[in-house]
Amino acid sequence: MAVEKSTHLDDVLKSHRMAHIDGLVSKHKNKRDEIKEAMESKYSSDIFSPFNSGSFGKHTAINIKFDLDLVVPFKRDSFDTIENMFNDVYDFLYKEYHESGIATVRKQKVSIGVLFNADADGDEINIDVVPGRELTKDTYVDEKDLNIYFNEDTWGFTKGTYTKTNIQAQIDHIKAKDNERKVIRLLKIWKNTNGEKYKSFLLELLTIKAFDKATISGNNWGKLKGVMTYIKDNITKDEFTLKDPGNSNNDVVKSLDSWGRQALSSKMDTMITRIEENAENIKFYFPINEDFEVKEENSSNSSYGLKGSSVGPSIPSNNQRFGQDEL
Amino acid sequence: MNFDLINSTISKIPFVKKINNIEQREFSIVGNVEILLEELQDSLSFDFQINLEYPLKSYDSESINFSNKDLVSYNHVMQNGNICIHTSHSISITEKLKIDFNALKDWIIKYIVNQDEDLNYEHIVAAESPINDISYSFIFTECKESFSKGELGTVKLSLLNDGMLRGRTNYNFFIKKFIPISGDSKNCQWNQYYNRQKTQLEGLYYYVEDAPVTQGRFAYTKWSELSLPTDLLNLLHEYERENFNKLRGKVIPLFIGYKTVGTEIHWQAALLEVGKFPIEGVAERINGRKNGKWNSFLVDAEISWGLTRNSSYEYFFGRGVFSKELTEKKILIIGIGAVGSMIAQTLTRSGCKYIDFIDHDIKEPENVCRSEYRFANGITNKTAELEKILYEISPFLNSAKLNDNYFEKLVKSFYTDPERQKKFIDDLKPYDLIVDCSTDNDLMYVLNSLELETELINLSITNHAKELICAFHPNIYKFVNNQFSNVLNNDVEDLYEPTGCWSPTFRASYNDINTLVQLALKHLNRIISGEKAKNNFVIQEADNSLKIIEF
Repeated sequence: MAVEKSTHLDDVLKSHRMAHIDGLVSKHKNKRDEIKEAMESKYSSDIFSPFNSGSFGKHTAINIKFDLDLVVPFKRDSFDTIENMFNDVYDFLYKEYHESGIATVRKQKVSIGVLFNADADGDEINIDVVPGRELTKDTYVDEKDLNIYFNEDTWGFTKGTYTKTNIQAQIDHIKAKDNERKVIRLLKIWKNTNGEKYKSFLLELLTIKAFDKATISGNNWGKLKGVMTYIKDNITKDEFTLKDPGNSNNDVVKSLDSWGRQALSSKMDTMITRIEENAENIKFYFPINEDFEVKEENSSNSSYGLKGSSVGPSIPSNNQRFGQDEL
Repeated sequence: MNFDLINSTISKIPFVKKINNIEQREFSIVGNVEILLEELQDSLSFDFQINLEYPLKSYDSESINFSNKDLVSYNHVMQNGNICIHTSHSISITEKLKIDFNALKDWIIKYIVNQDEDLNYEHIVAAESPINDISYSFIFTECKESFSKGELGTVKLSLLNDGMLRGRTNYNFFIKKFIPISGDSKNCQWNQYYNRQKTQLEGLYYYVEDAPVTQGRFAYTKWSELSLPTDLLNLLHEYERENFNKLRGKVIPLFIGYKTVGTEIHWQAALLEVGKFPIEGVAERINGRKNGKWNSFLVDAEISWGLTRNSSYEYFFGRGVFSKELTEKKILIIGIGAVGSMIAQTLTRSGCKYIDFIDHDIKEPENVCRSEYRFANGITNKTAELEKILYEISPFLNSAKLNDNYFEKLVKSFYTDPERQKKFIDDLKPYDLIVDCSTDNDLMYVLNSLELETELINLSITNHAKELICAFHPNIYKFVNNQFSNVLNNDVEDLYEPTGCWSPTFRASYNDINTLVQLALKHLNRIISGEKAKNNFVIQEADNSLKIIEF
């Protein structure tokens, strides 16, 4: 039976739900809370209450790749410089977790990564700690603005510099947007299963803008196709911008050069064409997570793998892929 | 031949001032024309000969020729005074005569009036001649090292084969290296296979720097015209004396080197027959009295030139190669059946320098009809035969022997072990590109699951070669499976089932498969050179044309 695109996408979303990995998520949460407590105890009155961000905080996580970020807002007078703040947090976490042999701690683009050693189940928990400093004294509580440090040349910023951001605003930007979240999760599934390097934040902002500027409606496929069409038609335009809700001066589309914008537009075009041409192609771009495939009577037929690999007599072999004579 | 038509047409050509002595012979019309152009003070005289084939060309040459021995110093004039022209096709005698006489006129204006120099270097003209009815040819490449004027030494050669050339036996040699009298060897840039061939002939070399020619391009015809140094003549004398009995009649080449373009060197081979070296001993005299010493001098004998060719990579592949980004890659092909062997051979012919391949399979006679394998090599390991075939094609391809069990045993047994995974990734790191043509689903899964730092491409075809599927790491396993299981209508019923065999195979001819493979390689070359985006693709025949469907 031919695949029904919307039903398939529904199955895809279901199979990528975080609920399937409750145990793993709990482990992450526990570790995050552990770090949170350690930070509060170390920096006590120098910080405001740490909060969760990343895909988990935004409810756009997928179970094949998710971040549990912990944002630690420092008070304006806690450190002289943003760099000192970043290094101090790194030194603390390094001493606390790395030197004690519990985890590997390393400086990342804007965060400090704490990768805990594999536990008895073989799970490796990774928590990214993002330190940020209040812009001006006593403004954080109302404004939520923070300066974050760039430890690498990234997203158009140079190592050693810092920028204003408002992570809370970024989280709020996607609040109560269930339709957008579904499409964002689908695009993240595409990104992660197809080896695409686009930033999730870029896909997130593109989706939200598409819903805002275009008429995105219909079933799952209708909405996804609407967003992909919007990206295809608009991302190459010179005047196209993607304002970071955390810093209106930051145009996130600039993280792509013109070739990258053209390539993303072409990819969207190709995907739409291939899927419209033959619905089965949707399974390549948006695959079901086979580990958590939901097999319901009304779900689409998601038979993966080769027909030849199904149970049955294997002589004569019925490998369907050719090019190599077997004798 | 229509004498009157030819005569009247030539006489009407405006710049033909006069026709002299035109006459019909048994197989040609000959005569002389005086050409007068505005640009010339005096008319120029050319003998002409129009052969029976006219206006058709014969053996790639015009069947009309113009000659004037006095013009031999000008460009494109042969030693016998023939002017070298190539003109357009026409089946009309009158039109062709006009075309050919106009070509003569253009040659006069370009080379006599304007004294133009050609930008393109043309080799010197040396008439090759056999010795004892056997021809000799020598192939060489540029060496990395330079040669200095007056440098002397020996040359090591190996025989490619004794083939036929213009009705005679021809010994085809290639030069392995030049060994100067003092200093290190200078190796030709062949691959490891040719470099390690046994030396089967030794020659001598002398680097003169300036081409050994008269009138700019005609090779000397007499030994006495070559100013060979006494050291070399004495060396020849000693060689002949020592080997007279043992090697009498054997031909050894003397390579005379000279500069062509930039730092490029060409070697002209003068052939020497042991026992007939063109030297004579002359007694040294002081005040008219012999002092007991003898010196060697060249005699006034004809030079027998051998055929030489510079076969450096740039010339060998000068007519067409894949992009440098592809030819410089270190490539591993997994599975060298129909698709894999075609890919290996095409990459080799298109200039790739490093291709290793792995396959545990045996080549059977039934494989020959749709792969690059040959009946003549019998039943043999595919890897051994392919290596032989590829080396026969390209002297610039390097291929290393691999452990046939690497993927089948090592990788498949231990791919889940994280430590081993790192090792496999490291093992494959020396390659820039791995092409998996094995059609092995298990291996496809295993390789796709490794976090390879090497580019990996997977290629396979559907039954009847209806489609070719090409996927790039890390989007291989899922894509290929979906194509075969859900998207393409692969016919798995109409298979070829050979008698006595439990393993049916797909139906498709060499032509069916190679048509797809060549288009896939064309597209891959564009992807690798950066001209096209790296997207998985399917090649499909639709409406009598092939379509590349990108994903």
